[in-house]
Amino acid sequence: MKLKNVQISKEIRKTIIELANQSKSPHVGSSLSCVDILTVLYFDVLNLHPWEKRDIFILSKAHAAMSLYSTLATRGIIDRKTLAGYYQNEGTLPAHLDRFTANGVEVSAGSLGHGFNMGIGMAFGFKKKKEERRVYALIGDGESQEGSIWEGAFFGSKLRLDNFTAIMDYNNLQGYGRAREICTFEPVKAKWQAFGWHAVEIDGHDHNAIKGACAEDTQGKPKIIIAHTTKGKGVSFMQDQLIWHYYIVTDEHKNKALCELDSE
Amino acid sequence: MRNTFINTIIDTCKTREDVFIISGDAGLGVFDEFKEKQAERFLNLGVAEQNMISFSAGLAMTGFKVYVYNIIPFVLYRCYEQVRNDICYQELPVTLVGIGSGITYSPQGMTHYSVEDLGIAQTLPNMKVFSPIDPIEAKLAAKYSLNCESPVYVRLAKRGEPNIHKNENFDITEPQLIEDGEDVAIVFHGSIGLEVLKAREMLKKDRILPKLISIPMVIPINTEKLFSLLKNMKYVITVEEHFLNSGIGSMLSREYVKINPGWKLFTLGIRDEFIHAIKDLNGMREYFGISAAKIAEYIRKKVTV
Repeated sequence: MKLKNVQISKEIRKTIIELANQSKSPHVGSSLSCVDILTVLYFDVLNLHPWEKRDIFILSKAHAAMSLYSTLATRGIIDRKTLAGYYQNEGTLPAHLDRFTANGVEVSAGSLGHGFNMGIGMAFGFKKKKEERRVYALIGDGESQEGSIWEGAFFGSKLRLDNFTAIMDYNNLQGYGRAREICTFEPVKAKWQAFGWHAVEIDGHDHNAIKGACAEDTQGKPKIIIAHTTKGKGVSFMQDQLIWHYYIVTDEHKNKALCELDSE
Repeated sequence: MRNTFINTIIDTCKTREDVFIISGDAGLGVFDEFKEKQAERFLNLGVAEQNMISFSAGLAMTGFKVYVYNIIPFVLYRCYEQVRNDICYQELPVTLVGIGSGITYSPQGMTHYSVEDLGIAQTLPNMKVFSPIDPIEAKLAAKYSLNCESPVYVRLAKRGEPNIHKNENFDITEPQLIEDGEDVAIVFHGSIGLEVLKAREMLKKDRILPKLISIPMVIPINTEKLFSLLKNMKYVITVEEHFLNSGIGSMLSREYVKINPGWKLFTLGIRDEFIHAIKDLNGMREYFGISAAKIAEYIRKKVTV
């Protein structure tokens, strides 16, 4: 199982590189950062059958949309033709999420600090309806500077939403700097704990750790998984480089990146 | 009208399981009984408006019909982007119940007035907007919202307004003829309609008998119906407790140039400036030229019949 998922993550990374190259769209670094988290969620954790009663995954840091689209395609939730229309004229999928475009795009998002809170509302709704569905939301470390995140944090614990899990893609590299240098980001785990959340800190590229953190019992609390990641993970020249928040993947970049991913 | 609107929703909670009410830490005297008796259908999400709106969108996505109650700036301004992206862009059946329309809250200060909300609401495609004159229009707006799949925003004054309509048998989406008249028509929305009614009485001795038209559904305005009611008028005056630059006066001006209906159009409302004056509601309406006496005076000057 472990090996299989690692292989899947590699395929998703290659798909992202291809997609970024074809589309000439930015945010490839942000997308590569969360591939392992999405792999584990979509291939191990989320209950997707029956579809009408599925668990919900919200990509709150929606600028990593290439990662979601590539994962949905790899999981067979959207088809390759839909994927190919990403960021194209008369295309199928925009750079930030529009829930009316494809199955599996659960919410429209792009402005940070929205998806997380919608997820809390959904988790509350499922509890009200006594449905066993769970909600997962992936937030960024930059996104965690939004006041709305902390507004939601107040209420997620008060409402005892143990069916809600937030995962922070903590690559410490946001749009124009490092979270830890821009603001008093640390101690971020203690902040969540102080808000009444069950907080777990893991290596966000370790599949077993991700799976284990998702399975952890929270005794009625909502969960935050602080996943330490590397922006641009998997492609050496993109890793932990601010410019790959924006840079376009040229043919040369693509060939080099694919070659590297294949030789891993 | 506030209580009538809310009580209509609360009554529906007895028969419909999908209705849910969220408050942003407002509603003393409004929800007191409801939050005890039907605690499972009510949630106070505190002083956290961004979360309140996104949360409501999420709740609506699980199949609930959500009502969000707050003072207008805190249901539409503070959380504009959440309303735009999470409710309107996603086409969710969430109703924003805003209280304190216009300068109702005088003299609470500018932060608590809502004199630009229609301007803001016009930038939100999919959103239906109501501005009732009385409890009957408020009740029908509530009933409309209960069956509406789109986002709705309701602009309410406060409480204690008398009923102007004599019955409930009308289509709330259409402009309403309140009083018939000749040559002059006054078009208005919301509780300022009470001043307009008084102005009409004052104008009787000048032998001016305006037709009065209330617009309970402000967005979208049923212009076909409105222009048919305004047929054969010589003068049309819009009166509203809202900035002139973006209320129904401005909306009607845009329709006017398309249709060129032949009558003269004048717009009365609140000057487009931040309000520093400290006065009660009556004093403030006088100050902005939208009290009954000022409306009558304005019409006397503008109109020759």
